[in-house]
Amino acid sequence: MEYIFEGIVRAIELLLTGNEETFSAVFVTLKASTMSMMGSLALGIPCGFLLGYFDFTGKKQIRAIVDTLLALPTVVVGLFVYAFVSHRGPLGEMELLFTIPGIAVAQTLLVLPIVISLTATAVESLDKRLKSTLMALGARGKQIAIASILEARYAVMIAAVTAYGRAISEVGVSMMIGGNIKWHTRTITTAIALETGKGEFSMGIALGIVLLALAFTVNAMLTILKKRST
Amino acid sequence: MNETPLYRINNLKYRYENGRFLLHIPEFAIARGASIGIVGPNGGGKTTLLKILALLEDPDEGTVYLDGMKVEKTSDELKRSVTMLLQEPYLLKRTVYENVAYGLKVRNEKKGLTEKVHRTLNLVGLPPEEFAQRRWHQLSGGEAQRVALASRLIINPRVLIMDEPTASVDQRSAVLIKDAVNTMREQFNTTLIVASHDLIWLNTVASQVFRVYEGRITGLASDNVIDGPWNPESDGLWKKVLPDGQVMFSATPPGDSAAKALLNPSDIVLARAQPDGRDGLSARNIIRGTVTLLSEENHSKKVLATIDLGGLSVISRITRRAAESLHILPGTPIFVIFKASSLRWE
Repeated sequence: MEYIFEGIVRAIELLLTGNEETFSAVFVTLKASTMSMMGSLALGIPCGFLLGYFDFTGKKQIRAIVDTLLALPTVVVGLFVYAFVSHRGPLGEMELLFTIPGIAVAQTLLVLPIVISLTATAVESLDKRLKSTLMALGARGKQIAIASILEARYAVMIAAVTAYGRAISEVGVSMMIGGNIKWHTRTITTAIALETGKGEFSMGIALGIVLLALAFTVNAMLTILKKRST
Repeated sequence: MNETPLYRINNLKYRYENGRFLLHIPEFAIARGASIGIVGPNGGGKTTLLKILALLEDPDEGTVYLDGMKVEKTSDELKRSVTMLLQEPYLLKRTVYENVAYGLKVRNEKKGLTEKVHRTLNLVGLPPEEFAQRRWHQLSGGEAQRVALASRLIINPRVLIMDEPTASVDQRSAVLIKDAVNTMREQFNTTLIVASHDLIWLNTVASQVFRVYEGRITGLASDNVIDGPWNPESDGLWKKVLPDGQVMFSATPPGDSAAKALLNPSDIVLARAQPDGRDGLSARNIIRGTVTLLSEENHSKKVLATIDLGGLSVISRITRRAAESLHILPGTPIFVIFKASSLRWE
């Protein structure tokens, strides 16, 4: 047990002294997850709106596929993206492999179903009187779409926060696409996996504390947003 | 002067999902600047009719003309001049100010916006300094209804359609809604179409009240409706027994014994004392009752006296002078007199 306590003490020391290696992993994580969030929200909110707002042939089937992809294993996404961005792959020239943008692209694909599905649910759950009200007030086309998204804003933010939580905590994509390169693509989760494998618990615990703090912050935001949305 | 009615409905039909007709209106017209009331039981098609007139629903068959043109061919500007206040209004999840301003913002009319919002809030009895920055969930039912009304009034609609605007509001809000609507009508000649169960309130805003029953406009709602059964008498009259045992006679036969008879309130004469027998009276029906309510009819300025005839409620339309000379108040015993030939059949 002693080494665990020693690990915790050393971890706090690493955090308080601003250990560069530790904070490098934190910044890489935040950078990659922020980029992936921007990508997934830009694509996911319009797609989720279309899926939730309109009735069209094949809607149920698309919805079923999106909902199935919510449980997409990270390593499958990693494998899929690796195949595309490796030097032999069709997107090899973009040189995304072992880069932070590469991780962000893969994480975008990973969390996109979450954003689409939760946005679609949020739009479907909008009050049936909303459209009549907007039309009665003179809104048309794009104005109705924008106002509908704004009415669902808390639920859409919940989708974004949920997706962010998934992005910062995944390990498979970061490992496979990022390559866990120290100072470059090493994220919190890949660093914890590596350090634990080496028996270096202190850095693993330090990064674990940061990850837990991030998860706690995300969860607190979720709670606040859920309260505001009801 | 343009004689084209603002609305004209031609053979309108609207079906339920099960294929049964919910609405069937062969012909109906609404003049510009009219104030039309609609009454009728729930499920009779009132809301659907209002939504069709508000261009929020399309009929399955038939044509609606707006300003002389088929609605599908009218300009978007004209369509946007028609607005509707839903029975349970939906407020956007924003401040009161943002809710009221929304209609002008989507029209890109932002000049003098704050002043217009404040003026409209004042019109519906919500002081802007107190209410403008409140959020949608910080309002009572009556306040929310008035915010919803203000968000319609600010766009100066040509047609204002309201579905049960006083159904879930307090008395004060009902009065404020009436005042705001009447002020708008006076200023802008807004055409008003409003459905309500509250006939007294409706009479304060509408000049004509129609009854919608089982998907049809069955006539003016000011008529009293008297349900059957009607049974034949040996002298050729048809008799209905009232709940308290008194009887009512019709001179013309009903279509069937359960038919509903219509009685114009203006055909009912009131008397404080019972006439001496029927020898000196041409009317066959003399029925004892009690005044339950007195109200003023907006357009005619006459008094509507609601009278309970031992369980059946009828309305009599009398002049203010007659009401004063009769000295009637709610609770006053009264005799209702009308000819057997005054009853018509629906």
